Amino acid sequence: MIYFLQLVVSGTVVGSIYALSGLGFVLIYKSSRVLNMAHGQIIACGAFITFALTVWAGIPIYLSFIISMIITFFMAMSVERVFLRRLIGEPVISVIMVTIGLMSILDGLIYLTPFGTENFSFPEFLPKTPITMGGVSISWTQFVGVIITFMLIAGFSWFFKKSTLGISMRAVSDDQLASMSIGVSIPKVFGLAWAAAGFSAAAAGGIIGNITGLNFDTLVAFGIIVFPVVILGGLDSIFGAIVAGIIMGLIQQFAAGYLDGHWGLNGTANVLPYIILLIILLFKPHGLFGTHEIERV
Amino acid sequence: MKTVKKMFWFIFMISCGLLFYSCGEGEKVADLESKVEQLTSENTTLQKDLTALKEKVGEGQVYKLGCSLAITGPTSDAGNPYSKGVEDYVQYVNDEKLLGDSKLVCFIKDDGYENEATKRNFEEFLDEGIVLYLNYSTGSTLALKNDFEEEKIPVIPASFHAGNLEGSHYIFLPIVSYSNQAISLSEYIVANHKKGTPQAAMFINPSAFGRGPVDDLKKAVAAGLKMDILEVVEHGQDLDNTALLKRLLEKKVQYVICHTVQPPVATLLKSAQALGVAAKTYGEPGKLTFLGLHYAGGPDLITLAGSAAEGYYWTTSYKLTSYKDEGADAQLALAKRYGRDEKTANSQNYTNGVQVAQIAVEAIRRAKAKGNEIDRQSLYEELLAMNGYDAYYPLTTVGPVTFSKDDQQGVDTLQLYRVEDGVFQAIGVPFRSEFVKKVK
Repeated sequence: MIYFLQLVVSGTVVGSIYALSGLGFVLIYKSSRVLNMAHGQIIACGAFITFALTVWAGIPIYLSFIISMIITFFMAMSVERVFLRRLIGEPVISVIMVTIGLMSILDGLIYLTPFGTENFSFPEFLPKTPITMGGVSISWTQFVGVIITFMLIAGFSWFFKKSTLGISMRAVSDDQLASMSIGVSIPKVFGLAWAAAGFSAAAAGGIIGNITGLNFDTLVAFGIIVFPVVILGGLDSIFGAIVAGIIMGLIQQFAAGYLDGHWGLNGTANVLPYIILLIILLFKPHGLFGTHEIERV
Repeated sequence: MKTVKKMFWFIFMISCGLLFYSCGEGEKVADLESKVEQLTSENTTLQKDLTALKEKVGEGQVYKLGCSLAITGPTSDAGNPYSKGVEDYVQYVNDEKLLGDSKLVCFIKDDGYENEATKRNFEEFLDEGIVLYLNYSTGSTLALKNDFEEEKIPVIPASFHAGNLEGSHYIFLPIVSYSNQAISLSEYIVANHKKGTPQAAMFINPSAFGRGPVDDLKKAVAAGLKMDILEVVEHGQDLDNTALLKRLLEKKVQYVICHTVQPPVATLLKSAQALGVAAKTYGEPGKLTFLGLHYAGGPDLITLAGSAAEGYYWTTSYKLTSYKDEGADAQLALAKRYGRDEKTANSQNYTNGVQVAQIAVEAIRRAKAKGNEIDRQSLYEELLAMNGYDAYYPLTTVGPVTFSKDDQQGVDTLQLYRVEDGVFQAIGVPFRSEFVKKVK
């Protein structure tokens, strides 16, 4: 039973971090129907900025974490303003291609810094001994990471449900023309969506970086790893991202705990989430909580 | 129809004419061939004389090397300092005139860890007239193996995969293979384990690089190495390894041999620390002792894993700068001379880059000393002759570089290191595997 509970706790920790990482995808897609292929690079930027502020500028880590989120907020907003605003109304595939180009540009820029090819890690500021309850352990880094994740997700959920801006963003997501007709500024909403995605990506980067250490390839990979999470949850659903993230985290842990190493199986923790994703998409093509759109032909 | 017939007879007659002419000219052709042979041999002698003369009057030659590796992209954390090691040593050779008035040029190109790019780079280097090639990854070394054979060019890769040597004459591993490292490490486990048969698991990269030593280690176990390998785990991009670690403990695994790159090992060690399952002393019962092969360790692992790396065992043939001897001093001085930062200066991948360039330069130096022309063949022969009293001692490794037709793995000895107070400290003296011969 303790083994099972341990897997549940670990799966929830991993899953909630997946959810936070996937949030950026959802925020952009929700408002503009664009898949941001450079999301992993923004996650990495957030982590590196936090590190630079903490270690090189000597700012306390919690403050660096917040500043880095603010910096990536404005960075992502500028990216939208410079590269993507001109593409409003253009085919979605063009916009996605621009994000692929953006991915290469960010890769190139990061390779110009030491972060591109060197490994770093945050100073250890939390106790090294794990939190143990009834035989179930969790590290302080993971515990704090999960708390921050849930706080941010709760904040975003409140923002979209209660604030005027959040409601405007949801309105734009539902119907751009109708939103414009009631005075919502579409470019502003797009900019804000990118900024919010940058904000959440920096948070994810900071948390992942604390868990795995700062390696560019590892951080960028999370931009891709969370892709099945957001597809499973529904590309335009924040709640979907949370649920799918936790489902994926649990599937991975259970597969690693109960399947791998038995009956000659190996690596099921990496494959099983995709198999389950395929099965669910067969029955729910828009994901678990995605909007089911019907178009008149 | 008539025209077609006429054409046929016309072509037939011409072919017959040409055939008779060539038969009649047979003797002339043989004469010409012997003359060409004579001229070629005279030309070789003349070229040797010319080389010697050029040296005498101070006009040196230019020797070209090529190096394709991942300066960006996956594994660039290893490839980047490696490239700097090569670059610095080549610069040093030229600055210090270690090859007399001759100049060494090394073309270094990024391949982003992509085999197609490596092949393209290699072909460009061939056009430049390189005499020796420094390759990088396991995948590209295996993919280009036939090209190396066709070109008859000596190659020193950064991959120590034993499979690189199968069916190849021109590939030279700078140190012992991953298989050899895994078996040596296992021998250490067996020799130092206290009660019963040690139970081990392997944590490997999901690639040809990672899978390389698995079969050989299993063969060593079958050949009598008293150790059980309970599981071989191919890792993914994991954020947490709780389930894996719990599973291994449930199976009574005590030793985890890691053969992958540093980031996944760091995550594994951090997970072990979080669960409190990492052994504090070697082979602590009920806990896991982690050990790693060359690319699964080094100072960068400590950077990534922090305090979770304490007690991690690691083996390589390279001297670390914590080794405190003339090799480490020379490496630090080289890095300082060419303005490298502390991290690069202390990286074992920098050492690796320096060492492969050292081997290449030594082969050139020896061929020059014999008055031979520096080409692929002469360097190949010099590498094969690097053994016995002619072994090469590069200072950067824990043993000499020895190559022969039967042994194309350079340094045969390994050093065991352990993380103590945030630094890899050498444990005992360099050692070599006994079981590798049995596996062969």
